[in-house]
Amino acid sequence: MSHLTDEELMRKVQGGYMVEGPEDMTEGYRKALRVQLTVQADTELMSAPSYWMAARYAPSTNTQVSAHAIIQDELAHANIAYRLLEDIGESKEHLVYGRQPHEFKHPYGFDQPLDNWAELVVATGFFDRAGITLLSDVHENTSYAPLKRALVKIGMEETFHLRHGEVWMRRLAKAGGEARELVQRAVDWMFPMTIEWFGLPDHMKRHSGQLDFKLKGLTNDQLRQVWMASTVPLCEELGLDAPAHWDKDKSEYVLDYPFPCQYDAVEKHWAFDEGEISWDAVFERWKKRGPMNEIYVESVQRSRLDVQHWLAA
Amino acid sequence: MREFVYDVFTRKERGDRLQHVGYVDAFDDETAKVYAWTTYSEEKWFEMCVVKRVNVLPVNRTDGLYVDAQESAHD
Repeated sequence: MSHLTDEELMRKVQGGYMVEGPEDMTEGYRKALRVQLTVQADTELMSAPSYWMAARYAPSTNTQVSAHAIIQDELAHANIAYRLLEDIGESKEHLVYGRQPHEFKHPYGFDQPLDNWAELVVATGFFDRAGITLLSDVHENTSYAPLKRALVKIGMEETFHLRHGEVWMRRLAKAGGEARELVQRAVDWMFPMTIEWFGLPDHMKRHSGQLDFKLKGLTNDQLRQVWMASTVPLCEELGLDAPAHWDKDKSEYVLDYPFPCQYDAVEKHWAFDEGEISWDAVFERWKKRGPMNEIYVESVQRSRLDVQHWLAA
Repeated sequence: MREFVYDVFTRKERGDRLQHVGYVDAFDDETAKVYAWTTYSEEKWFEMCVVKRVNVLPVNRTDGLYVDAQESAHD
């Protein structure tokens, strides 16, 4: 551990100092980094079963291969992030295999079922775009050098996932008919899901230290704007309705629905007509986790103990 | 199942530097090669090598991950 105080380290990293390992960290820095890396690792890990169960809807052997290539990438990204956590004193074994499903820190979006090929491609178009938005900011701004280096690979591969999602969204939307309707239905539930993913608005944000320690550069609201700046024009180009528009006077994207609002996970329906709800109600929904939480976590953890038992015998 | 840390080095093209790209945990050298090849698959590498971290000898530093690896190897 560093002999510096949190405030001294904050000043150093704001001046460009790069942290290389636990010997350079204060306890405050380590905790803030642990939270950030846990969310990153869990998100990558839980995207894998979500995409894997949806890959059965792939319409050809080529698309099977590309869907599974994405899943392979996501698992590798998760593995890299858990290794980074081990370097700062956490146990990968415990994080992956020792936690209950509700203890994982991935976003609510990866607790939802993807029920057809259109949902899988919109997920890679929207959710992976959210991933790139968040991780590009970290790559550009982080003071933690091992993470900055690891993100070179992750950024390259996430860009491929995004391209795969957008190409297929375009193809299905252009086809019209049922294909287009399925994409629109996916957009209807996944657009607000991704908006919510970026978390509390800035005026309510609790102090996390991630900005002060330069573990990221942009605020939640700024990141939401970056995501919308790519996603809203894409939807407009494809003739898909997205519940947001560019506001000239405010010079920013504005949502066309009450935010946050309640979600019916069974019907995959956002209750826009019931109006705005509190963030406490959102946290309560997140805490209960979504319908696929236990199934996805179980799919990752199963057979670990069996195989350990065989190997020990 | 005791695993070891292996650092992964790659050369993208003939004539490029061999660069550290990351690391994997593996039971032995053979699984380390497989895990490295499948984990760091973002390029068509000209060359990839793995090095067991305990075999990396720190020269000038007295702290950091490579020193820790040395210490844990002698526990």
